[in-house]
Amino acid sequence: MPQNADNVLDHFELFRGPEYQQMLANKKKMFENPRDPAEVERIREWAKTPEYKEKNFAREALTVNPAKACQPLGAVFAAVGFESTIPFVHGSQGCVAYYRSHFSRHFKEPSSCVSSSMTEDAAVFGGLNNMIDGLANTYNMYKPKMISVSTTCMAEVIGDDLNAFIKTSKEKGSVPQEFDVPFAHTPAFVGSHITGYDNVMKGIFEHFWDGKAGTTEKLERKPNESINFIGGFDGYTVGNLREIKRIFGLMGVEYTILADNSDIWDTPTDGEFRMYDGGTTLEQAANALHAKATISMQEYCTEKTLPLIAAHGHEVAAFNHPVGVSATDKFLMAISRITGKEIPEELSRERGRLVDAIADSSAHIHGKKFAIYGDPDLCLGLAGFLLELGAEPTHVLATNGNKHWAEKVQQLFDSSPFGKNCQVYPGRDLWHMRSLLFTEPVDFLIGNTYGKYLERDTGTPLIRIGFPVFDRHHHHRYPVWGYQGGLNVLVWILDRIFEEIDRNTIVPAKTDFSFDIIR
Amino acid sequence: MSSVKATIQDVFNEPGCGKNANKSEAERKKGCTKQLQPGGAAGGCAFDGAKIALQPLTDVAHLVHGPIACEGNSWDNRGAKSSGSNIWRTGFTTDINETDVVFGGEKRLYKSIKEIIEKYDPPAIFVYQTCVPAMIGDDIDAVCKAAREKFGKPVIPINSPGFVGPKNLGNKLAGEALLAHVIGTEEPDYTTPYDINIIGEYNLSGELWQVKPLLDELGIRILSCISGDGKYKEVAYSHRAKAAMMVCSKAMINVARKMEERYSIPFFEGSFYGIEDTSDSLREIASLLIQRGAPAELMDRTEALIQREESKAWAAIAKYKPRFQGKKVLLITGGVKSWSVVAALQEAGLELVGTSVKKSTKEDKERIKELMGQDAHMIDDMTPREMYKMLRDARADIMLSGGRSQFIALKASMPWLDINQERHHAYMGYVGMVKLVEEIDKALYNPIWAQVRRAAPWENPANNWQERAMAAAAADAAALAADPVKAEQVRRAKKICNCKSVELGVIEDAIAAHALTTVEGVREHTNASGGCGACAIRIEEILAEKATPPHAIAAE
Repeated sequence: MPQNADNVLDHFELFRGPEYQQMLANKKKMFENPRDPAEVERIREWAKTPEYKEKNFAREALTVNPAKACQPLGAVFAAVGFESTIPFVHGSQGCVAYYRSHFSRHFKEPSSCVSSSMTEDAAVFGGLNNMIDGLANTYNMYKPKMISVSTTCMAEVIGDDLNAFIKTSKEKGSVPQEFDVPFAHTPAFVGSHITGYDNVMKGIFEHFWDGKAGTTEKLERKPNESINFIGGFDGYTVGNLREIKRIFGLMGVEYTILADNSDIWDTPTDGEFRMYDGGTTLEQAANALHAKATISMQEYCTEKTLPLIAAHGHEVAAFNHPVGVSATDKFLMAISRITGKEIPEELSRERGRLVDAIADSSAHIHGKKFAIYGDPDLCLGLAGFLLELGAEPTHVLATNGNKHWAEKVQQLFDSSPFGKNCQVYPGRDLWHMRSLLFTEPVDFLIGNTYGKYLERDTGTPLIRIGFPVFDRHHHHRYPVWGYQGGLNVLVWILDRIFEEIDRNTIVPAKTDFSFDIIR
Repeated sequence: MSSVKATIQDVFNEPGCGKNANKSEAERKKGCTKQLQPGGAAGGCAFDGAKIALQPLTDVAHLVHGPIACEGNSWDNRGAKSSGSNIWRTGFTTDINETDVVFGGEKRLYKSIKEIIEKYDPPAIFVYQTCVPAMIGDDIDAVCKAAREKFGKPVIPINSPGFVGPKNLGNKLAGEALLAHVIGTEEPDYTTPYDINIIGEYNLSGELWQVKPLLDELGIRILSCISGDGKYKEVAYSHRAKAAMMVCSKAMINVARKMEERYSIPFFEGSFYGIEDTSDSLREIASLLIQRGAPAELMDRTEALIQREESKAWAAIAKYKPRFQGKKVLLITGGVKSWSVVAALQEAGLELVGTSVKKSTKEDKERIKELMGQDAHMIDDMTPREMYKMLRDARADIMLSGGRSQFIALKASMPWLDINQERHHAYMGYVGMVKLVEEIDKALYNPIWAQVRRAAPWENPANNWQERAMAAAAADAAALAADPVKAEQVRRAKKICNCKSVELGVIEDAIAAHALTTVEGVREHTNASGGCGACAIRIEEILAEKATPPHAIAAE
């Protein structure tokens, strides 16, 4: 027995033992109709060729290893950013389990979210009863201050009308008449998680500002000096929003973070379970109407929300996930211009420190080639930073990037001599990226956890920046925005570069003449 | 300590060293009198100098006898490369404690040697003396001798405790230790007419390996390299070499010269930095070997190889020349690199606006003059502020220096390239030159410099700290220009001799009062150049100035 109670081996070790290896080999030989290993190898090599790449890029229907998630995921992300709000997903409960596990695995925190648990009969007769019962149960069991309703594909396919359903539920007494139940239709077969985020944000502002689905008067805007800040769907939301608050605090800016989910995904372990923590209060959400301006940190997360806000008389400004010196400069200058507040000395010093750090180590990044994939705004932010560092973002790919985005990335390339040989890939997936990494190799890959398969297959070292990051812990607690955030990104990139140098020089008596302690 | 004193005395009699030759008998007797300025930001100590000189011997266990400070801070801190053993990178120290300081650390040292032999069995152990055991009187020579006899292994005492002087002295004391205990103690299996020693080369970033293939191709054998990628045995039989090349002129000149004296191994000073320097060095090697009996056809093969390699390197560099058009370089480094790199940079089409000669000998300076012309801008001792101003005034586009000066360049928002020991690229030989040019190109065109130079967008560009600093400096200069008395005071207050803290005014007065015409005379009357002697060249210049316009003296 390879496994015994005195020394229990974990799966890393157990299946490497001769018994298991023999068993697996036998199984393959006798039951799996194995191919000639030489043939397997030939195909593997062929998949690295330009010829294969051409076929790969000619793919029309199949998506392989998509670098995007579904609308409802983004819907839940936005909803938990409001005070004591529970996301209620109208549709099948299996989907909801995915969103919860997805966030829990990334943030290492419980993620509360309920569903209307639609089953076959609901799919045939409509989900109204599920909505009525679901809202009532949610209201009574979890005592939320707001229930944010979004949908899964199932409800969308049969055409459930959320507005009407919620009205009926309220009439039936599921929740009190005046209880806030904003809603958004978020089918997964349209857009991606960033679309879902956008839809829910838009739904919530419409709800509070435009008369709560016809049940009250529309709010009248009484402009004040405050600004609204929308972070967008962001794996670093915990660190980023706290950093933004710190920056605004230093500047003396009056602000409201809209959908502030920085606390709910970073609750302290002190003996108390917090189903809800922090968040934008409902009052703040309503009063956000009076703000002078609304800043979106991620243009492609707020494509519908920003025009709605603009239509209510705000100045709006959208950024593309700014990372690094120039992008942060631009962001802060816009805040300064809009609010009339000066950039404080503290931020000037942080800027100087980031520039100093970059200057100290940029020689290691300068001239290196990177492939980046992720959400459209993140890609723009990172590509901009790399260009600033003198690196080449050779491949920039977003499965949920559109043509407009691709043009914007191209403009970014055109703005720097280091963008000359770079290319943007909207709507492509990670199997496309795989071909690119073989035919036009780069030095490093930047992406989420799923990039580790590309790292394994192509040997391109992965720098984990994006969402989700399941297999490394706590990075979401660090900001990537602001000068401090730029420093974090710089360090993550540098760490990987140095690890790679060490890895290449670590073999004793073979390569370790360059295994140096000073880099 | 008498033996250390004697060795130091001997080192200071070194005729091969320009600086020592410069001193009067009385001054030389004082040993290392170059007192580092108390309160100044000083360089390393003699221990450090000895350690860095010998540490690249790769199969030796380097045992530092002292408290944790000495090895703790210097463990594996140089980018020398080894093709074999890695024991040189293991940090061995006796790590002495309070009890050892009270009762003596010799037993602990002896036990440490024993344990190294039992656990690692290296071909040799080098034992480094440091300040504390030297002060409490630990006799490492005796301990090494006892260990040598007991274990039948070379256990070599390196007597160069930190307090005896600066780093450079430590380099020489390390050389003395090799001469006293290692060189000539073993015999090679065989010799050839093509055996050479390379002395003062440390194989930083594996540089030597960029040159070695060329020597291999010519059939020239590096019998011993002292000390880069060296092995104990090779040093021990290095006395059988036919010729030697001395690479770092200051560090181990005593080794080269004494080997010539003792074993009749002729040597030349050369450099593998720069294309022409590399070619010259190869020619010199060939020529010395031929003098010692190698067939004359070696020179033909050498010339053929030089021609081939040069044209390859020139072609590779040529494409950078347009990119370097009008680019100016400030070179802040020491010793041999000051002239060897000057040639290299000129080959790449860069314009040198200045080179530091702080650590350079008279010969180094002569070489620079040869290369850059008589009006070469040699910077003796540049304060960080002066360096900064020079960089800021855009008289330089890039600064090449050791790691310690990099931060001045960075604060001045200037491209900077590391050419000292912590660098990560090998610049030796023909390929090394191409690499250097490539790195300079990368540094010059790194977009971060534009970013670094750009003020924060909210800042008034005329009022950032850099501009304020420049304005303050300009205001000072203007004030001096307006006040000739003060200007004269400042001019006269310029320190010529750092060791003895002698100002220009004092020297000028002495020259005038006693009608002095020689450096010796000035030294007698002012004590200037009585320390390390590096300022003798400056004093000569002052004397020359005074000699030409007689009215300048008459006025005094």
